[in-house]
Amino acid sequence: MLDKLYYSASFVFPLIATAIALLVAGSLDPYLAFVATSWVIFGLLGLSLDIIWGRGGFLSLAQTAFYGLGGYFGAVIAINMAPQWGMTLVWALPSGAIFGALVAAALGYIIFFARMGELQSTILSYTFTLLVWAVTQSFKMDVGQAVIGGDNGLSNIPGFVIGYGPQAEALGPNGAFALVVVISAGIYFFTRWLMRSNFGRIVDCVRIDIGKSELLGFDIRKFQIINFAYSGAVAGIAGALFALWANYLNPSIFSVPEALLVPIYVLVGGLGTLAGPFLGALAIGALSFWLGGGAAGGQTTLILGAVLILLVLFLHNGVLGAIDRVWRQVIPDPNDAARNAGAVKIDTDVLELILKDAAEQAGPAKELDTVDLYKRFGGVVPVNKVSREFAPGKPYALIGPNGAGKSSFLKTCVGMYPPEGGSVLLGGEDVTRSPIFNRVRKGMGVKNQKPQVFGPLSVAENLWTAAYARTRDNVQAIAISRKVLDMLGLHEQAAVEASALSHGQQQWLDIGMVLCLAPRVILLDEPAAGMTNEETRELSLLVRTLAKYTTVVVVEHDMEFIRTLEGHVTVLHQGKLFAEGDIDTLRANDAVLDIYLGRSEHV
Amino acid sequence: MELDYLATVLLSSLSSASILLIATLGLAVVYGLMGVINLAHGEFLMVGAYSALTATQLGIPYPLAIPVAVIMTMMIGAIVELLIIRRLYGRLFDTMLATWGLGMVFNQCAVLLFGTVSPGIGMPQYSLKIGAYSLAVYPLAMIAVAGLMLAFVYLLMTKTVYGMKARASIQEPEMAQAIGIDSSRVNTLTFSIGCGLAGFAGAILLPIIPATPSMGLFFAVKGFLTVVVAGPVALTGTAVTALGLGGGSSVTASFMTSVVGDIFFFVATALMLWLYPMGISRNWRRKL
Repeated sequence: MLDKLYYSASFVFPLIATAIALLVAGSLDPYLAFVATSWVIFGLLGLSLDIIWGRGGFLSLAQTAFYGLGGYFGAVIAINMAPQWGMTLVWALPSGAIFGALVAAALGYIIFFARMGELQSTILSYTFTLLVWAVTQSFKMDVGQAVIGGDNGLSNIPGFVIGYGPQAEALGPNGAFALVVVISAGIYFFTRWLMRSNFGRIVDCVRIDIGKSELLGFDIRKFQIINFAYSGAVAGIAGALFALWANYLNPSIFSVPEALLVPIYVLVGGLGTLAGPFLGALAIGALSFWLGGGAAGGQTTLILGAVLILLVLFLHNGVLGAIDRVWRQVIPDPNDAARNAGAVKIDTDVLELILKDAAEQAGPAKELDTVDLYKRFGGVVPVNKVSREFAPGKPYALIGPNGAGKSSFLKTCVGMYPPEGGSVLLGGEDVTRSPIFNRVRKGMGVKNQKPQVFGPLSVAENLWTAAYARTRDNVQAIAISRKVLDMLGLHEQAAVEASALSHGQQQWLDIGMVLCLAPRVILLDEPAAGMTNEETRELSLLVRTLAKYTTVVVVEHDMEFIRTLEGHVTVLHQGKLFAEGDIDTLRANDAVLDIYLGRSEHV
Repeated sequence: MELDYLATVLLSSLSSASILLIATLGLAVVYGLMGVINLAHGEFLMVGAYSALTATQLGIPYPLAIPVAVIMTMMIGAIVELLIIRRLYGRLFDTMLATWGLGMVFNQCAVLLFGTVSPGIGMPQYSLKIGAYSLAVYPLAMIAVAGLMLAFVYLLMTKTVYGMKARASIQEPEMAQAIGIDSSRVNTLTFSIGCGLAGFAGAILLPIIPATPSMGLFFAVKGFLTVVVAGPVALTGTAVTALGLGGGSSVTASFMTSVVGDIFFFVATALMLWLYPMGISRNWRRKL
């Protein structure tokens, strides 16, 4: 019972809160109803930040800019339309939403396509707000009957008018409160649905591990921009509601204190919870209301500042985060299954089946060729004109002493390092300048040295995400991820959070995710690192099976492992191809021994 | 256009750029050597200004009031580091939010203690005549002050044991710990020095910018933008950026309105961040 409620809490409690708000709306003191309306609007503004910060992982300080611009734009439309047509909501809300979304998309385009650093993105969004603030101070313009008067602001904005025609009357404070509650609840439930949809899942993945998301073949920038635009739309709607509520707007809506108040709402309620910002806005609003009227007078700012410090120091996940932590301790832990997991045993029959299916869907194995590939970092040249062809059939192993350029070569092939010269061909197609996600879509599957899994997601969800990245089809993705789960024998752990798995199991899960992509070329960077002997044997079996259907390149230190692969071995030294052959000939090769042992002749 | 007018504009723009640099340097030191953005930096500037003002009101001559301000802000800075910043290492955005809250608290305390308007202190009444125009000397002297401050920080970081430890801690934190540098003590000192520089800025700029509780905001905002555009090379990067952004916006402002100057500043910042997503000094060879 308690655990069922836990998993539907984000639906049940907001529903109850909405019902209570609507029940008391009629009997509230009109002044309190008027003030409380603004709290709900601020909650909506907080929700817009939670969408992009809590879910998208980008602390945007431009939410008040979208909010203000949406408000201004919606208000101008409403002023011009209301006298004749009434129904201000129909004019103001969509125009505020569209304007907010467009501005956010434009800003997001700059931030995400330039692949800006985290701090730089936040500061740029802050700069944008300041810029709008500076411009609106002196921006004067008459649009039809609306007069935007710079510092003097925009007045004569009609209230919440429901009903068409010039005679329609604006709602009183209690009616307006109920209306704003209904609209906000609608947006909350829609957002909740959106964040639980496939789109929301991928937005979560981008936040958790942006690099891995791209390695699955998602064009992360598109998801970031769409999410940002959506948050801009929500902020724009909040702004339009605010304009109709206040009947007046001026540039102080873009001011610095306003911009920084929004993160407080989110932090008080709980980051990433969606419902939290409403709770935060309510708490802060009620606090200011009570303090503003009481003995403490104008100490609101002082208290808010202290609250913010204490929140960050002691209650990082806000009120809802704290409740969540307590609640989790009384319900059964889904991660229990992780503790009684045995060693992973590969089911080769299922594996062959998966690989045959993959070949059917994604076509035959592709060759990977590099031509004079060249990469330098300052004075170091880790990849020095390497030309090599990798074909399916037998696995390829890249070996060499530390610093030989093995991992750099792999990363240059994947696209993590842009090369200064030469080219990378995937199935004969030049992909040297393609972004990573494009190479993945064309059939490159990459497993990095460290296990990269989405920690808070369950094992099944991890596999689903990888399969969905390729198929873009929910049903197929479920079928594929189930097969890979069969192959890994991780059934018992399907609902376990990936972060609860052991290091070795995370490696297997990561390999499973790569298989979900049906890659035509597989690049593995030190896959055996951190595995037990038993697991290494399983891995060797897996790699040999893979090589029958695809091209496989492995970078590895473990010589025993490489011997069991029975494949081609390439020795790299100082960024260049040094020697090739099978492992036994290379072991007898004096020059290879020299570079490994550091003897002088060939170093 | 007459030459004397042009010279006036250039000199006064250089002086505004220097004022920006003076106000920003403390922030740059803290960001460059600790990787922490102190959003309360502007409020430390304000604390410095009020300390100097209060000292002069108590009868201490202005030149001696400046060290009072520096000591005051350094002490508060050290306490803040011990109580707040230390607990948030590696959580950049949390540090930003906490220091922003701190800024609000300082701001409100100043309102309570001093009210929203306070008497300024007179600016030395010297002026410099260039052709038909005359310029006050004190703002021009800020060019020299900015230069001296840069030199001071540079020497502090390169010639003292503390400076070497601080640079070692940010460049190779693990190695620095391994050879026995107590990085948390170094960080306390760094933060305290950063705040002291802010206090110095508030005090030295007092004749130009009168002390008000919200005085920090203006400089703080432009300061953050400068530091972030500058990127990881704290000293040189910030100096170049302050000169470019501050000087540019001041030149724009003198030919058009001050709002256009501000707009220039923000647009230029956005453009630089777009061209250099990690700051202009990202790939520089020098480290200071």
